[in-house]
Amino acid sequence: MAGNGISLFDGLHQGLERALDLRRSQHILTAGNLANANTPGYRAKELPFDEMLTSEIAAVERGESARDIQARELEPAPWSLDGNSVNAEREAVKLTENTVLYNALAMGASRRLQMLRFAASDGKG
Amino acid sequence: MADLLDTFNVAASGLAAERLRVQTIATNLANAHTTRTEEGGPYQRRVPVFKASQLDVFGNELDRAVSSVQVEGISVDPRPPQRVYDPSHPDAGPDGFVLMPDINVMQEMVDLMSANRTYEANAAAVEATRDMALRALDIGR
Repeated sequence: MAGNGISLFDGLHQGLERALDLRRSQHILTAGNLANANTPGYRAKELPFDEMLTSEIAAVERGESARDIQARELEPAPWSLDGNSVNAEREAVKLTENTVLYNALAMGASRRLQMLRFAASDGKG
Repeated sequence: MADLLDTFNVAASGLAAERLRVQTIATNLANAHTTRTEEGGPYQRRVPVFKASQLDVFGNELDRAVSSVQVEGISVDPRPPQRVYDPSHPDAGPDGFVLMPDINVMQEMVDLMSANRTYEANAAAVEATRDMALRALDIGR
């Protein structure tokens, strides 16, 4: 799709959609972690965004659609008495970070559509 | 597929669980010197038991990783009562000792703070979710 220069919803659009999707998944995982902050034996879960970037780029280069992503479980600290690995500070920071990035992506998608509308209305939009 | 609105349910389960925890702690503190109960004997400390419950059993791998929290029940702390010497107490035995609940006020206060902070964290998750959902609605505007 990308590269022929005439497609309306190109790779950038798909990329934004995918990123919004993953940020939403990370958000609900964080909410689950916070809800289970006092559940014995519960393992905090998160998306491995750092590892995902390389594998996603490779998948796109091979022309494949993105695969199913697996959440990573955090091991409890050795001093965790109840085997729970939720770190409230870490989750709070992740929550804020994720919200900011999600909002940025949503804004990006919005701007992109504005550009299309501008072009579609002969520059009068 | 788990969507943003499911996040509200997950955060709400956390809020409810922490509120129950605060209620249990309040009960323990209120009954710190209760010597008579329905079951007989002094009051025994209560502890809520939480369990992680999968939100979506049939979803993809990622959806199955999401858990809300469920209250499994309220268990009774089996620690034995304290023996306090107070011969003037109506429930004192012939040796002058009264059986009092073994409630550690420090422990309850620390638990209370922890419940309070976790409640706040869950409330923050609700707010962040609302923020994101509203921003998503703005796409294409």
